[in-house]
Amino acid sequence: MSPTSQQARAARPGRRRPVVQFVAVGLVLASVLAVLTGWFSQRAARQEAVSDAESTTELLARTVVVPALASGSLVTTAAELDRFDRLIRRRLRGADVLRVKVWDASGTIVYSDEPRLIGQQFELGEEQQRVLAAGGTDAEVSDLSRSENVYERPLGRVLEVYTRVSGPDGEPLMFELYYSYDDVAVRTGRVRGAFLPIAVGGILIFLVVTVPLVWLLARRLDEASSERERLLLAAAQASDAERRRIARDLHDGVVQDLAGTSFALSASARDVAGSGALDRGQLRKGLESAASGVRHSLRSLRSLLVEIYPPDLSGPGLPAALDDLLAPAVANGVQVSVDVADTSQMSDAAAGLVWRTAQECVRNALRHGEPHALRLTVTLLPADAAGGRARARLEVADDGVGFDPDAPSDGHHFGLRGLRDLATEAGGTLQVSAAPGRGTAVVLEVPA
Amino acid sequence: MNRTLIAGAVALSGALTLSLSAPAMANDADVIKRGSCTGASDWKLKASPQNGRIEVEGEVDSNVNGQTWRWRLRHNGRLSARGVAVTKPPSGSFDVRRLMVDAPGTDRIGWRARNPQTGEVCRGSLRF
Repeated sequence: MSPTSQQARAARPGRRRPVVQFVAVGLVLASVLAVLTGWFSQRAARQEAVSDAESTTELLARTVVVPALASGSLVTTAAELDRFDRLIRRRLRGADVLRVKVWDASGTIVYSDEPRLIGQQFELGEEQQRVLAAGGTDAEVSDLSRSENVYERPLGRVLEVYTRVSGPDGEPLMFELYYSYDDVAVRTGRVRGAFLPIAVGGILIFLVVTVPLVWLLARRLDEASSERERLLLAAAQASDAERRRIARDLHDGVVQDLAGTSFALSASARDVAGSGALDRGQLRKGLESAASGVRHSLRSLRSLLVEIYPPDLSGPGLPAALDDLLAPAVANGVQVSVDVADTSQMSDAAAGLVWRTAQECVRNALRHGEPHALRLTVTLLPADAAGGRARARLEVADDGVGFDPDAPSDGHHFGLRGLRDLATEAGGTLQVSAAPGRGTAVVLEVPA
Repeated sequence: MNRTLIAGAVALSGALTLSLSAPAMANDADVIKRGSCTGASDWKLKASPQNGRIEVEGEVDSNVNGQTWRWRLRHNGRLSARGVAVTKPPSGSFDVRRLMVDAPGTDRIGWRARNPQTGEVCRGSLRF
């Protein structure tokens, strides 16, 4: 398995995790919505059922009970009770009514379709007393533990609705009907069935639509993260290579020069301390040689400092910095040609990129190219007619040994690859032209 | 011989009369009364317990189809139900059924039917 596929496999869980989290949150949200919808459905269904039961009770009271009561006394005789009973039972047939009760103000049940309740007296509740006194209609789930509901216990949960009616002599009576609470459950199912697909289905459709988008977003973030990691790794490797190069340059250059100077000065000191005749001419020659070595070391250190920390590149700083950059090439006997245009209009970012590219190219040429001549040109390309920005162009060409750009990389060319990335990020391009034995040319173009 | 036949007929008639007018129990809780109307018709009144109520059944048997009768049921002396019925084949009779509320104490149920064309009247009652 290639490292690339391993990296891809290792990256997948990181890409999958936010998608899974998104789906999980969506499913939790859908569940919460389902529960809330069920709760609100039950509430709405109960209100609807109660409202319907109240309306039915009021309608029956108005159209059945009141006319029946108006025709005579309700409980004076058994015969009148018979007629009222037959009338009520005939009219309420098919009305889903489980129990009928008519109360007087004393709490006596003057009529019920359960004959055993007729004539019994019970204590009225507050709401019932309020309805008897002030009128109106009220409903509640029956408290089956109350004694007046003893015959309703086998019916299960029931809803009782009561409204005030007037008796034959205008006395207040309370007409009470009992309905099955199962109707509320049926209505709840109906309301939930209507709203649940809308609420939960909407979330599920949203998830189905957005999960691919989230997956794409996660993949892009993952790729960006991988690219960032690669750049950081390249930067770290470049930094490591830079430190090794500086150490090598110091060891091979300045340290050797200073060591030679130190030996020369030590020899001169021994000559001065010796008992023999002092050859002043020889001493002067040795001191001048040591001074020349120290100056050379100073130049080398200055070039190294310039490489380690870029100088001020704004305004006229760039041409001077490029001159300093080429000092080692001159010292190595390479014929150097420099042509730098007016860079005062160049942005700091473009100047920095030009300088870093020139630094890498000169370093590569001196280290690998064995050139006899090196040419560095910086020009400013004016903005085109299409409104494009002016561009800075750097070309570094040498006549060295060159290389095959298509050959597999030995893993040490992070510099050019990193510069190409930087050029691309800056909206520019970096092109490398090389061939074995025919030198190398690198061209950078970036917005000025 | 003739005296014996007459005595037998009287005894049989008396036994029939007693059997028709005496309460007869179809079930333990049912109360049934029968009797003769003022003409050739017979009547029956039956009361049965029915889920806390009393199911009352009144019947007139005239053996003549198509007669119109006006009937009434009374409960504790007051009119509980009334109507018009027509005798039907094959027996030339009619019957009506009504539910009454089982009032506290003993319920008195009365049954009256009258043929407006012949003036014949059937009248009976029972206690339940």
